Amino acid sequence: MSFHNISVRINGGLEQAVVPGNMTLMKMLREIFALTGTKNGCSAGECGACTVLLNGEPVNSCMVLAVECDGGVITTVEGLAGDKQLNIVQSSIIDEGGVQCGFCTPGILLSAKALLDRNPDPTEDEIKEAIVGNLCRCTGYVRIIEGVRKAARQSVPV
Amino acid sequence: MSINPHPTLPEFDYLKPNTLEEASRFLVEHPGQSRPLSGGTDIFVRLRDGAIKDKFLVDIKHLDGMNEIHFDATNGLVIGAAVNMNRINSFPIIREKYGILAEAANSCASYQLRTRATLIGNICNASPAGDTIGACLLLDGILNIHGIQGFRQEPLESFFQGPGKTTLKTGEIVTSIQFPNPAEGLQGKYIKHGRNNMSDLSIVGVSVVGAPEVKNPSGFRMRLALASVAPTPLVVHKVEELLTGKKITAEVIREAAEIAQNACTPISDVRGSARYRRLMVKNLSIRAMSIVWDGLNGKI
Amino acid sequence: MEKKAERMDPSPIGENKPRIDAREKVTGAAIFADDIQFGNGLLHARIKRSPHPHAKIIRIDVSRALELPGVKAIVTGEDFPGYIGLYLQDRYIFCREKVRYIGDPVAGVAASTVEIAEQAVNLINVEYELLDPVLDPVYGASSKAPLLHPDLGNYKVANFIFPQAGTNISNHFKIRKGNVADVWEKCKVIVEHHYWVPQIQHVPIEPHVAIARVDENDEITLWGSSQSPFAQRNLIANSMGISQSKMRVIAPYVGGGFGSKAGVSMEALVVAIATKVKGHPVKLLLTREEEFYTAFVRQGLASFFKMGCDSQGKLLAMENKFYWDGGAYTEYGVNITRASGYSSSGPYEVPNVSTDSFCVYTNHPVTGPMRGFGMPEMHAGLEQCIDELAIKIGMDVVQFREINCLKTGSTLVTGSKMHPTGLPICLEKAARGIEWGKKNPPSAPNKRRGKGIALMWKAPAMPPNAGSSTWVELAEDGTLTVGVGGQELGQGTFTVAAQMAAAALGVPYEWVRIAKPVDTRYSPYEWQTVASRLTWSMGNAIVNASRDARRQILEIVADAWDETMEDLDIVNGIVISFKTEKEIPLKNLVIYGLPKKDDQGWRGGPIIGRGTFMPTYVTGLDPETGQGQRAVVHYTTGAQAVELEVDMETGRIEIIKGVSAFDVGKAINPRLVESQMEGGFIQGVSSALFECLQLKDGMVQNPSFVDYRIATSADIPKEIKTYIVEVAQEDGPWGARGVGEHSMVPSIPAIANAIYDAVGIRMEGPPFTAEKVYLAMLDAGVINE
Repeated sequence: MSFHNISVRINGGLEQAVVPGNMTLMKMLREIFALTGTKNGCSAGECGACTVLLNGEPVNSCMVLAVECDGGVITTVEGLAGDKQLNIVQSSIIDEGGVQCGFCTPGILLSAKALLDRNPDPTEDEIKEAIVGNLCRCTGYVRIIEGVRKAARQSVPV
Repeated sequence: MSINPHPTLPEFDYLKPNTLEEASRFLVEHPGQSRPLSGGTDIFVRLRDGAIKDKFLVDIKHLDGMNEIHFDATNGLVIGAAVNMNRINSFPIIREKYGILAEAANSCASYQLRTRATLIGNICNASPAGDTIGACLLLDGILNIHGIQGFRQEPLESFFQGPGKTTLKTGEIVTSIQFPNPAEGLQGKYIKHGRNNMSDLSIVGVSVVGAPEVKNPSGFRMRLALASVAPTPLVVHKVEELLTGKKITAEVIREAAEIAQNACTPISDVRGSARYRRLMVKNLSIRAMSIVWDGLNGKI
Repeated sequence: MEKKAERMDPSPIGENKPRIDAREKVTGAAIFADDIQFGNGLLHARIKRSPHPHAKIIRIDVSRALELPGVKAIVTGEDFPGYIGLYLQDRYIFCREKVRYIGDPVAGVAASTVEIAEQAVNLINVEYELLDPVLDPVYGASSKAPLLHPDLGNYKVANFIFPQAGTNISNHFKIRKGNVADVWEKCKVIVEHHYWVPQIQHVPIEPHVAIARVDENDEITLWGSSQSPFAQRNLIANSMGISQSKMRVIAPYVGGGFGSKAGVSMEALVVAIATKVKGHPVKLLLTREEEFYTAFVRQGLASFFKMGCDSQGKLLAMENKFYWDGGAYTEYGVNITRASGYSSSGPYEVPNVSTDSFCVYTNHPVTGPMRGFGMPEMHAGLEQCIDELAIKIGMDVVQFREINCLKTGSTLVTGSKMHPTGLPICLEKAARGIEWGKKNPPSAPNKRRGKGIALMWKAPAMPPNAGSSTWVELAEDGTLTVGVGGQELGQGTFTVAAQMAAAALGVPYEWVRIAKPVDTRYSPYEWQTVASRLTWSMGNAIVNASRDARRQILEIVADAWDETMEDLDIVNGIVISFKTEKEIPLKNLVIYGLPKKDDQGWRGGPIIGRGTFMPTYVTGLDPETGQGQRAVVHYTTGAQAVELEVDMETGRIEIIKGVSAFDVGKAINPRLVESQMEGGFIQGVSSALFECLQLKDGMVQNPSFVDYRIATSADIPKEIKTYIVEVAQEDGPWGARGVGEHSMVPSIPAIANAIYDAVGIRMEGPPFTAEKVYLAMLDAGVINE
């Protein structure tokens, strides 16, 4: 098996790692960097619990190799909040009651953040489409969508 | 679908060759155990399931031209092999002139998967359910392929040989797909019928394109392709013949849909029965053709 | 003296207090079991599973696997002879002699990496002798079927479960009320129908995971995603023949349970493996595929209904036969059979009822508790029959339900009387919310619209003596820590626990912490986090514990002020006297007490309150008739109505609007209650439209998200309305009772009834996929090819 020396920027900080060729980005984040906010729900690119931003775009980190991220910029849920406060999507989803068990939440937040970055004023259908790859079993999505709408209404850039 | 897949990805070597030549040579030197890696969204799932067992993945995403999209009126549209579905869906000239391609690209999976999944990957995976393949066929796509012997071209219509089987030989890497300049006034529609409203595979997929063509008795050219109801993505030529030769009405569209229905050979599987699929081929073909027809008549 | 002190915060009961765990969860800081860091010593487990639905184990050869570098231990059923089970001990930790379903654990490997463990599993060779499988519960219950559990008569069993030795029936629950046979001729109309509700799975987004470590003193620590740390401790300790105090279960946040993480499923496997690698923690994380068929699934149900009413639309008789596809082991599933039996009239007053509810062994995945515990499966058919009966007698289906539904004081199918209930109010609100009687035009020419309604009831299904206990402890600054054994699955346990403790003691909600994670070494006992019982049962214990602490505090202050406790109160963390208007904050006094006059000593000391709650009034039911004085603790009732459209060209159902109304007694946190109603409704919609474990020859054909579809954000209705009805539960904290499961129960029949309203087709069982609906319409001539 091949091993690779990579450098990546994770949540603003430059990091280096030696990774096996077959290690997924998800595994690298969870096991090498102990960033366990990114969750393993299926390892098959279906549930979205492992969603992170790679160069600003949402990906299922179980469907990306760590080595493919060499030189890339990664944002995980741990990188969303500022020093003193939560980012707008995080606080809005709390305000609207869109958090229950919390397992889908990190993935949802990153999909939502990326949506608002590319489309600051999404319709309800656009929100639904943006998170269709994030499965939630607890909330029925209702309050998650409300939370994203609330975040969009605040015009502070995320 | 395995009931007992690997918990993690099995072992393999990851390679990042510097040139296409290097890549093709490596593939030829490791036949049956290596393959090109683009988006990975099909390959990783199949590796985990044990359906494929390659020991070497050869990343091609970074090679020359792989990430380019360009269009000019003479040569038409060229899309590099590493261009992902989200980019295709948002690229202005594609949305404007090749709308059905954008629609089909956007129907795949989820936003996260579309960030990685590529058009060429969808084509090379050669699943009869491939969402974008119908559009690419109807838009007369031509593949640019690099192999040990250099470059060659292959029109998409001859590319598919069976489920998961293409004419690609060992060492060959598709570098781009090109589409001629579309006909003036082209309308297109892709209807994907899945079990959920979005994000599913297609149980039945219908792609239709149409454009005015005054030399035809009907005054139009309309073409139809089906997904998930034959061993390969299926262009139903007899539909085109009918709609070229006869004045197009709701009745004729119905007749064309029945031709499409008779042309398909669906199977029954966990996703749906052959019976239902055949019935949907007809109903959704009517739907798709009617939408395109309304578009051609300025009703949309 | 008038009561001067007003609470500056209104009592947190009834308020939408922000979740106590929200910040952790949105920052990724919340720890789930797979997130716990164990260091380099962590070993990984993989399980060798049966590929056959029914077979004898002839030989297991682990020799090649043991030679693989990195393999630390391999265990089989040889090493663990103890049975395990909650209500019926019918399974081993690892199979001995026989395998009974595809996925049954035959051996377990611990290795330094998951990959090595997996390789080792593939090197284990098992020789089987195939046996004829049972793949259908009606067949399984017949004398023709091979016996899956020949020792059934010898299994240890709870005294309210009735296994039929010499058969595949692990529980037979009966209702014989009145005289059904004689009453049919008095019925103006009779409806007879049968339904098949297939197995589905809970699909928690977090798969099952457990880590076990055995130390040098043979003490076991088990970490896991668990709804039931104390039950897991008890069942595993019993099976392994050790003391409960030698086993410690630590249960962090659960990423969704829905019943799948109750009782014991895969946790015992990793404990067993860990005993062979002392000192090392061993982790077993199920793949999503394993999650679909090797932990728990919901039972399949073949239900046969016959019911009749008189010319006034009054229900006279019901005859029910339920054949539950219990799967290979029914140690938990047997109680679903019972719960459905004692609920088999549905939420209606029916003077004559005959029910036979059978739990049948099959060579299918193991069934266990899933949200609703038999109620969704049963109501799926029952509520459709009710509609049919109403239609047949020419009565509006809502009116039919108004006449027959349970009211306060109604006689129940088990013979007792219905406690105060808001079911009629729920029915009215659901009907009004969906604008019952108003026919809306379809949104397009190829669509048809329909409305449907369904009622439900459910009691917490549990042993008659399931108990809760809690403690409360104060810190120097007067803040409160509450110890609970109830688990946070997302439903808001910790939040409402804090609200109730705050209210009962007299401190602001923000002063309360929950002692988490639940840890059986330090946390107080809680039977399980199931049955929608925590708000009520744990809540009562919290109130008792807070009152205990409160009494201790007021005793000290009363003594110090020379007043009586009755004149004192604690408001906003301050002890006040209504008589003298004196005040003293809780600060310090709750640790150090108060000094006596003239430096003559001290009174009081560290305050620690304790409280328990266990129902004492549930009686047995006659095994022949199912009648008894008090079958259950209480019922939560509710109604759901939907408006939907059917696409006549594809059969696709779109839910336009859903309305839910449930009687929760008292909503401690209304937003959390609404969230349960919304989430449960969508899970119900998902189970109605998409979900089915497709079983063929005992194998699940679709054990992945690709082919087991669940509702996504794109599948939810445009409008969901929820109504909270509050008819107080007599012995509930502030009148509260649970609602976590109930919101999923009426969805399937509400949708089926709406489909009938739209296109006149009666669906024989979910899921109502586009294909099923389309072909049903085609075959009935509602549409043409």
